[in-house]
Amino acid sequence: MNTLEKVIGIVAETCEVDPSEVCGDSSVGVFPTWDSMGHLSIINNVEEAFGISFEPEEMMELEDVNDIVRAVEEKLAE
Amino acid sequence: MTIERVISDQARLTPNKVALIDGDATVTYQQLWQEIELSAAWFRAHASPGDRVLLAASNCLAFVYAYFGSHLAGMICVPVDPETNENRLNRIIHIARPALIVGEFRHGAGHNALPVKNCEPPGCDALSHPDENQVADLMFTTGTTGLPKGVMLTYANEMAAANNINSFIGNTGHDVEMLALPVAHSFGLGRLRCVLAMGATMVLIPSFASMKKFFGTIERHQVTGFAMVPASWNYIGKMSGDRIGHFAKQLKYIEIGSAFMSLEQKMKLMELLPNTRICMHYGLTEASRSAFISFHDDKEHLTTVGRPSPNTAIAVFNDQGDSLGSNQDGEICVKGNHVCAGYWGVPHDVFRHDFNNDYFRTGDWGHIDEDGYVCLVSRVKEIINVGGKKVSPLEVEEHLNAIDGIMEAACVGVRDELLGEVVKAFCVCARNVDFEHVRKQLSHEIENYKIPVYFESVHQLPKTPNGKLQRLLLKG
Repeated sequence: MNTLEKVIGIVAETCEVDPSEVCGDSSVGVFPTWDSMGHLSIINNVEEAFGISFEPEEMMELEDVNDIVRAVEEKLAE
Repeated sequence: MTIERVISDQARLTPNKVALIDGDATVTYQQLWQEIELSAAWFRAHASPGDRVLLAASNCLAFVYAYFGSHLAGMICVPVDPETNENRLNRIIHIARPALIVGEFRHGAGHNALPVKNCEPPGCDALSHPDENQVADLMFTTGTTGLPKGVMLTYANEMAAANNINSFIGNTGHDVEMLALPVAHSFGLGRLRCVLAMGATMVLIPSFASMKKFFGTIERHQVTGFAMVPASWNYIGKMSGDRIGHFAKQLKYIEIGSAFMSLEQKMKLMELLPNTRICMHYGLTEASRSAFISFHDDKEHLTTVGRPSPNTAIAVFNDQGDSLGSNQDGEICVKGNHVCAGYWGVPHDVFRHDFNNDYFRTGDWGHIDEDGYVCLVSRVKEIINVGGKKVSPLEVEEHLNAIDGIMEAACVGVRDELLGEVVKAFCVCARNVDFEHVRKQLSHEIENYKIPVYFESVHQLPKTPNGKLQRLLLKG
């Protein structure tokens, strides 16, 4: 499973939607459950799943699935 | 005077002043009033004065037009969160018996909801401003009995509340406020009324979720103030660190809603915004913003909820209805023109049981200290405050009790670093119950934030001799 698929899985599970409803462009607010509370849960779950930790300045840039995937891959490459 | 009349006066006196901004759309006071009149004409074509109109309340222009339009048409507006679960929505409909349901509800199964739209005036009777003693809105509370109650707010109540709030915060017509709180709740809707009552500008954004949008909006529109709940501040801090401090010179005020906020969080906000008027209110739907504290001005009293708002009196009464002196604990009671006119469908003499003399009983327990500051000791009403969203333990319990294997459940709020409180459920089970499975089941029935974060299996629940649940004993 690549990073995109894994992040989509996390977003889908956190937002309680089918993974087929989530794509790279899916962003905060796209589902009613992807509100501020949902967004924090997604970030926490991503951090846990990949064993990484984001700084506040990095978190601000995480608006959609593609942002998250990019940030995860950058972290993993460090 | 009503807020609708203030808006129409603004439209005449300062027609080109910007009233609302939503995305790329900018609406002047003149345009706003025209839209309200069109909306009122539409409502008149579909319902009669005095009818209730259930309106899906979203942070968008269409809602603002429909909200004030329904008022101008003489109807009673019932603003409801479009995400409201089906059970609660049905109960609200059962109580309010609306003539119209307008807007999109996610769980509106079976109800005929009309889209929010305007039409050319169909030659209806001339519209006249509502009388200030008429009921403007029914705001549905979470309700301590589990059943939501329709709080009747008159135009005079709403105008009085707006004046009290604007007076305390020091708002002016030059303010540009950003609204990220949901207008479906009385805090967010109250902010909209406050801003328009001052002839100021309101910028609508959907929520706090996108920090890029939040800070981008502050910067682009030179926002001078916003409202939030303590959970919003936790979120802003976690997602953006100290960035809010970059706007210290620009942000003139912040209003914070009543919920637990640690002293540490308050001090951090004060440190980042040393010149901003940071005001936190204490209030309830029935008596909006009854007390206020200004963090910088009242820094020696940050553990209190502040002093009575302008034109508001607060007194503490014991169980016998006697007024108590300073530092004596009792029920906190409020008096002022902002106190609601009653509950929809509840006889006035029954509503008067909620009063001690002319003071409305809040159901909160506490005292007033020797300096006149109100100190809350506990919430007698066992409502759980999850990040500013109110959860009735009874609503969650009702769903839990229907689950196979759970004999009886009781829910309380437990402290949470991020959200202030989250739901914890104590369950008496007939057998081993998989609480993860329970969570999944609940996710189909109630909103996410109402789902218990913690479960505990117990042999029995604490009850009074007559069988009433004593939830507060479970809080430990």
